[in-house]
Amino acid sequence: MATDALRAQVAAKWQESFARLNHNEPGIVGLLNFTQAWNIARECIRPRGLDEPDSFTQYDKSTFQASFELLNKSRRLPILLESLLEDMRKRFPVIKEEVDRYTLEYERTSDTSFILNLVFRLLKWYKKWLPMQELGATLHSAFVLSFQTHLFSVLTPTFVRGFKDLCASTLPSTDPRTNVPAPNVEMWQAFEILGLLDRYENIIASVGYEHIEAHVVAACSGRWSNPMLGQLRKWMTDKVVPWMLLMYARNATTADDARAMLQNVGSRFDFHMAKTLCDLRTKEIFDIIIDYPDSSGALQDLKECLHRVDQRASLVHTLRKANQKRLLHPGADTRLILTQYVATIKCLRVVDPPGVLLFKVADPIRRYLRERPDTIRCIVSNLVGDDDSGDSLVDESEPIQPLQQYELDDYLDSNWEPEPVDAGPDFRANKPSDVISTLVSIYDSRDLFVKELQLLLAQRLLAIIDDDTEKVEKERRNVEILKIRFGEAALQICEVMLKDMTDSKRIDGHVQSQKASIVHPIILSKQFWPMLEATEIVMPGQFRTLQDEYAKEFTAFKPDKKLRWLPHLGTVHLVLHLEDRIVEVDVPPLEAAFIELFSQQDVWTMDELIAKVGSSVDGTAALKALLTWVDLGVLKEQAENTFRLLEVAESAADGAREWRTVTKSVIELPSAPSIQQQQAEQMRVYWKFIEGMLTNLGSLSLDRIQAMLKLAPGYDQTIEQLGIFMEAARLEELVVVRDGMWKLTPK
Amino acid sequence: MEQVTSSLAPPRASAPNKSGPASSSQSGAGSVTKRLGNELMTLMMSSSPGISAFPKTDSNLFDWIGTIEGASGTVYAGLTFRISIHFPPNYPYVAMAIKFETPCYHPNVDINTGSICLDILQDKWSAVYSVQTILISLQSLLGGAFSPILRQDFGELCLIFTEPNNASPLNNDAAAIWDNQEAFKVQLMRYYRPLKDDTA
Repeated sequence: MATDALRAQVAAKWQESFARLNHNEPGIVGLLNFTQAWNIARECIRPRGLDEPDSFTQYDKSTFQASFELLNKSRRLPILLESLLEDMRKRFPVIKEEVDRYTLEYERTSDTSFILNLVFRLLKWYKKWLPMQELGATLHSAFVLSFQTHLFSVLTPTFVRGFKDLCASTLPSTDPRTNVPAPNVEMWQAFEILGLLDRYENIIASVGYEHIEAHVVAACSGRWSNPMLGQLRKWMTDKVVPWMLLMYARNATTADDARAMLQNVGSRFDFHMAKTLCDLRTKEIFDIIIDYPDSSGALQDLKECLHRVDQRASLVHTLRKANQKRLLHPGADTRLILTQYVATIKCLRVVDPPGVLLFKVADPIRRYLRERPDTIRCIVSNLVGDDDSGDSLVDESEPIQPLQQYELDDYLDSNWEPEPVDAGPDFRANKPSDVISTLVSIYDSRDLFVKELQLLLAQRLLAIIDDDTEKVEKERRNVEILKIRFGEAALQICEVMLKDMTDSKRIDGHVQSQKASIVHPIILSKQFWPMLEATEIVMPGQFRTLQDEYAKEFTAFKPDKKLRWLPHLGTVHLVLHLEDRIVEVDVPPLEAAFIELFSQQDVWTMDELIAKVGSSVDGTAALKALLTWVDLGVLKEQAENTFRLLEVAESAADGAREWRTVTKSVIELPSAPSIQQQQAEQMRVYWKFIEGMLTNLGSLSLDRIQAMLKLAPGYDQTIEQLGIFMEAARLEELVVVRDGMWKLTPK
Repeated sequence: MEQVTSSLAPPRASAPNKSGPASSSQSGAGSVTKRLGNELMTLMMSSSPGISAFPKTDSNLFDWIGTIEGASGTVYAGLTFRISIHFPPNYPYVAMAIKFETPCYHPNVDINTGSICLDILQDKWSAVYSVQTILISLQSLLGGAFSPILRQDFGELCLIFTEPNNASPLNNDAAAIWDNQEAFKVQLMRYYRPLKDDTA
């Protein structure tokens, strides 16, 4: 089949190969020489057992070189290399068996020394098999590559775990008391030679990361008073960098070299440290805010970390979640929420001066506060510095300044800066910066605060007893301070109230000079005081006489004015002369009225008493007043709701009490109706109008009702509020709605 | 009410421009509008049972609609009458014009037009009267019974209206059978139309 041409070609090839191997030697001498050289070379680079003698001991070095020379000339070296690799593959199960044995041992004991020993053992094998340098770089690198490939294929995941542990054990302990283990240079060299460093770089890095994480958590958790970042960096330089040098700068010869090599990986580690610290502080942020200002160090850290790591979104997210879970629920006191809100403002201002974070975090808090009924009261009572309020929201050091309003962008501002990139669309850069302005801006309207201020001031002024000018002066100072914040006009009414206090004193002085009286009224200008709860007590007996006499003198002094008594707001100092004792006591007027009635007859029922003082007194109040006297041992409840005067003290159970010295004050703060009540009062007016229009005009749509309500004086509710109101009326079955048309429930 | 008012927090937007009654009413009628506004407020806040009135629209305070319930114990008890009230521009120097919209069988009321013959609405009108007093008068005119309030406040009026003024009847049939209350009731119910809901 073979053509002549093919035959000739094969023959030529054969001749050529033969000539190459035979080196033009006579006969087959060349061929024989080649065979010998081949055998020597194979023998010399053959992978051997660890206990076998090295090839040098059997053969002379020059013999190898001659053999290799010969093989090279015959261009048979690649074939030799192949057979070497093949041999290695065949011998490798020995190593595999060894690897398995050691890793099994490690798995059993978790002792990293087995891994260490294994590494050294592998190194021995490697060195044993490594062909001589003289045989050329090609052979060398082919061997290394092949050895490593085989090695990696037999290394199990268990080994990887062990390797990680081994690396970790070389790190300086987080416990500063134990010494840094002496660096095991040999081990790292072994790692490098075996190619483990390159292959397991990630694992080594993760060992480093975990170490840093553990240290940061151990060193910084809950320690917020000082910035930790500096300390951490120092720790990195002292403890971690030497460790890193071993692997990342192993070839460095000079310090500069090492620095250059470490630069990349070093910044990665530093980043990781910042991230870990940032994560930790983010997790702790709620408690950090609670601890403010003791936690300012932590905030400094957080600020620096946020510059390095972009974790702002996660900070906002975490804080919002924490607020939702821990703060904005019905169990939290409004005062507490406000305090935390103020602390949040201060803290986030440290972390992020432009206020983007604050804006994002504050929004839910503000929305929640807006829904709380007592928010305004809390803020206002803080503004005037209620004595019992505990710590104030406002820094004493913060300068008092007028409330700031949102301003339009100032186009001429030469210091203008664009808004931060992560700012939301609603973000306003020029927000009010002081705490009070921020709090007041929770509500869109400032009037609510002013109203509440008036209420509170009224309450506090009325609570002042015994002409305590000092307290009035204190209120005056408060009002002056608030004027700076809210403006002169808003506080005019408060001004009048204060003036009433001084005027009362003057008028009283005048009236007393005309006709001395033991009544010392405070005269209020009705228009300027908040609606005071009007329980009309008709004072009996001598009180009535006293009031009337005083009123007569007053009218003589100011003919155009008329006194309308609000007796329930006063206090009465009483001295009761009983048969065996004298009781001296300060009581509210209702109590006084009752005891006055007991001077007419000894036994009264509660209903009779109420009828005497005017029916506006309800049972609970009356009972409370009577029980005051029972507590003082002046009255005794004979049967249910029937009381008897004890002219002679009952000595039975509590005879030990010393009546003569009883001087007790049972005065409570007079209450002015809150804004809510006043609003309810206003809504009652509006309801009358709604009732009127629905009676006459039949059924109306919400829009029409809203429009018609403009006829009611001072109507200022939105249609949404009206809708809520009507819905409530519907629930009380006052109105019905069909197809959006409201009408009164048919009778 | 509590849950309503607690959620009434702050007014979010300032109330839209008040197209208040003053601006759209006749020129120079500012004081009239003011008086009518006051009367409305007084009427709304006083709880006189069975009488009520309200402007037809929010833009015109001069046209009102009123409602009168027949006083109990009279032949009109349980019936409700709708009336229309129109105020002249020179109110209160001139009386308002009042008509029954619901057919009202009564000696002094025209059954067809609803006009009322009542001297305080005509020659005896005085500026001290108000919507409220007139409505109370009308209510008592219906039954011939005066409420105690009226007796107290308008003693003079009592003398005029103790009885329907049969001397000047607009409805002669009604005047004729006034004394026979049962027959009167039959006639009354024949003409009476209950209020419909959708009058708005």
